[in-house]
Amino acid sequence: MLTIGDEPVYEVFARRVEGEPLRHVGSVAAPGDALARVYARSIYDEESWIEMYVVPRRAIIPVDDVRDEAVDAHA
Amino acid sequence: MPDLFGTPVPMSTPLLDRPSALPGECRAPLVDLIVALADNKHALGIRYAEWCSSGPTIEAGVAATAMAQDELGHARVLYGLLEELPGAPRRSEHEWSAADARTVRFVEAPFQSWPHLIVANLMVDRSLAMVLETALESRYLPLRHRARKIIEEERYHAIHGQSWVAQLAVEGADVRARLAEAVESVWDETLCWFGPPDGGALRPLVDAGVLAGAGDPVRTRFAAEVGPALAAAGVPAPVHGAGARWELARPLPWNAWNEPARRIR
Repeated sequence: MLTIGDEPVYEVFARRVEGEPLRHVGSVAAPGDALARVYARSIYDEESWIEMYVVPRRAIIPVDDVRDEAVDAHA
Repeated sequence: MPDLFGTPVPMSTPLLDRPSALPGECRAPLVDLIVALADNKHALGIRYAEWCSSGPTIEAGVAATAMAQDELGHARVLYGLLEELPGAPRRSEHEWSAADARTVRFVEAPFQSWPHLIVANLMVDRSLAMVLETALESRYLPLRHRARKIIEEERYHAIHGQSWVAQLAVEGADVRARLAEAVESVWDETLCWFGPPDGGALRPLVDAGVLAGAGDPVRTRFAAEVGPALAAAGVPAPVHGAGARWELARPLPWNAWNEPARRIR
């Protein structure tokens, strides 16, 4: 487990209504999936989302190789 | 929802949809329980809020803020329940007085450190939630409806407490020692909160189906949840695993327990 201040970033996605595409709403830094869920729920509470997801940034694969370095730096 | 406590409440028993339907012997213990639940939640909300801008990370501070809002909201919802009950003291979040509040000692003063907040989250917050979980199928509908709304939010508080204990445990021996010290100071009052072995003053509420359980059955559930979490984090606590059961390693101070105020004298 990582020490405080060194947590990986999770991207947060959510949907307001049925049929609406998932949209990227922001990101949180958390030591694990469980706290990432808690943090996403408390930080991005401006809407009554019907669904919300957290995705480890390292799990998001850049399609264009050029972006690799920028993404890795924040994962 | 399965009956977690094996308490037989006949399906044919009518629901209690208003205060006047409550059996007479249930009123005083229900009022005492609601006042203590709400006062503890109000105090916990204030304590969480003091860490809004000083958590170890920005995310942690925001989560503490959200939990503070939840707890203050739960207190308000529970104070609303008192307004309907004859003979209940007048309480509201606007007239709240710490001197008069029926709270456990651990939430009476600001938390000394983030590990203290996390222990309050893991122990005090969770024990209050576990008592409210016994009302999820309550025959007293005003309580059932409020308990369901509260428990929905409490799921995230439980995840927060468990995750943070694990996170703090890897920060080093001094942080674990601080966690252990906080656990020790809150232990007896938290474990007494579920009531004496047979439920004590809460027994009439269990018999009437207002609560699904009290006393030892609820305490056993709590020990089986908090015991493994503390053991995995390497935090010493007076509880040990015995197979699937987790048992308390020392007796609770029942001679000092103030049942109506739900606190140790």
